[in-house]
Amino acid sequence: MLFHPISIILLLLTFMVQEFIPGLEIAQYATLFLPAVFFFCASVAAPFSMMLVLAFITGFLWDARHLQGVTESMAGVEDWFGTGEDSELGAGRHSLPFGLSIVLFGMLGSLMQGIRPLFKRGRLELPVLMVGVATFLWLLTQFFIITFLRGALHFPSGLWSKMITDTLLAMLASPLIFLLLYSLARVSSYEIKYDGLRYRFDGR
Amino acid sequence: MKKFNILALLVFVAGLVGVFTFDTAITRQIQSRVLSLLSPFIHSSAAMQNAAESLTEPQVNAAEVMRERDELRVQVERGRIVQQKYNQIIEENAKLRQIVGFQQAAPFKMTAAKVIRRRSSAFWNSLIIDKGSLDGIGTDSPVITSVGLVGKTSILAPRMTEVILLTDEMCRVSAKVEGTLEQGILAGERAALEVRPELHLRFLSRNANINAGASIYSSGEGGIFPPDLLLGRVKRFENREISGEAIVEPAVDFSSLDHVFVIEMQAVVPAPEPPATTKP
Repeated sequence: MLFHPISIILLLLTFMVQEFIPGLEIAQYATLFLPAVFFFCASVAAPFSMMLVLAFITGFLWDARHLQGVTESMAGVEDWFGTGEDSELGAGRHSLPFGLSIVLFGMLGSLMQGIRPLFKRGRLELPVLMVGVATFLWLLTQFFIITFLRGALHFPSGLWSKMITDTLLAMLASPLIFLLLYSLARVSSYEIKYDGLRYRFDGR
Repeated sequence: MKKFNILALLVFVAGLVGVFTFDTAITRQIQSRVLSLLSPFIHSSAAMQNAAESLTEPQVNAAEVMRERDELRVQVERGRIVQQKYNQIIEENAKLRQIVGFQQAAPFKMTAAKVIRRRSSAFWNSLIIDKGSLDGIGTDSPVITSVGLVGKTSILAPRMTEVILLTDEMCRVSAKVEGTLEQGILAGERAALEVRPELHLRFLSRNANINAGASIYSSGEGGIFPPDLLLGRVKRFENREISGEAIVEPAVDFSSLDHVFVIEMQAVVPAPEPPATTKP
């Protein structure tokens, strides 16, 4: 049962490696979100309960490192423009809530669980595609929630190119992570079993 | 679904509820701890990036470096003289204010910092500087360059601080238009990921007479940013449904920031009461 603790250690390592990954200036600083990609890959290999543990750790650390700092309201500052907030500090009220990424990773991890039998058979086409889908959904959902909290549905021109490049980078990196997980499973004699809903696809 | 999975799901939901109940102070503490834990890696990545950039840079000419050093020495000397004159004027100003009983403006301290990382998040415009809480930096402190306002400090680590840039939607500044009585709130665009995005000065009067090229300064009314910091210049003015809006080009080029200054406002010490004059 070494597979699970090593997966957690590898997940923690990805947060450290993330700090070394630069952004692509030509694509609005799109980058490879390694912890998220590792989680999506690992959630295919891990059982449901372990996926939840990984989702919690990934979401918690992601928000702790990458969520914008929360601002406290300042007493005694006049509301000059009648916006209902103190003008400079009030901006922080509409940030994403801490813990939201845990929910998103939990839901997307559950989605990834559905392709475990394919991963077990060594088929990587659909898992790689699903990592791309999950990455895109993760980014898009975050943006929709920001929009919902702050109002005014607005999609800047560079947003799509950034999200698509992020997704493509995730799909490029995922086969390597899948191969790493295969090797880890082999070394630790871990057998990937499907214990979710009944699987009806013959997989050939 | 297995019983064990249901139990795991319940524990997950309970943990999630626990996280959602964190207040601002706890959230900040967690973010600060994680940033300080990862700070050695951020420093290492910055060092690697610098090393890579220095490899691609052309060879430095020793004579040119010497010439630049001499020029800088002259500039430092000039700066020292200006600083002395400035201190004298400040002192004189304080005395005059005391005489006329005018409230003393809050003095401030500036901390020089080096930019070590630009952008690391999905949608936020931020950068990381190499000074933190141990250097006396606090949260929500203005960050400036010699050109103008850069943004404000956000998450603090002992030797590192994340700065939210002026181009981010979350960094809002009470601003005034030079040469007019117009005041508004300046903010960046949501997910403005371009190198030099536009800023929006909202809540201006409709049909306000604002010309392109007019400078925008902080008004000092919002509680964070001191007055008269240059923010940008007006590109155009647009009338919206309720109010007017100026599209502003930021004064600072955020893509080429190397060094910044963090302003820490200091508490005003009330001037001692003058001795009461006794009638003869």
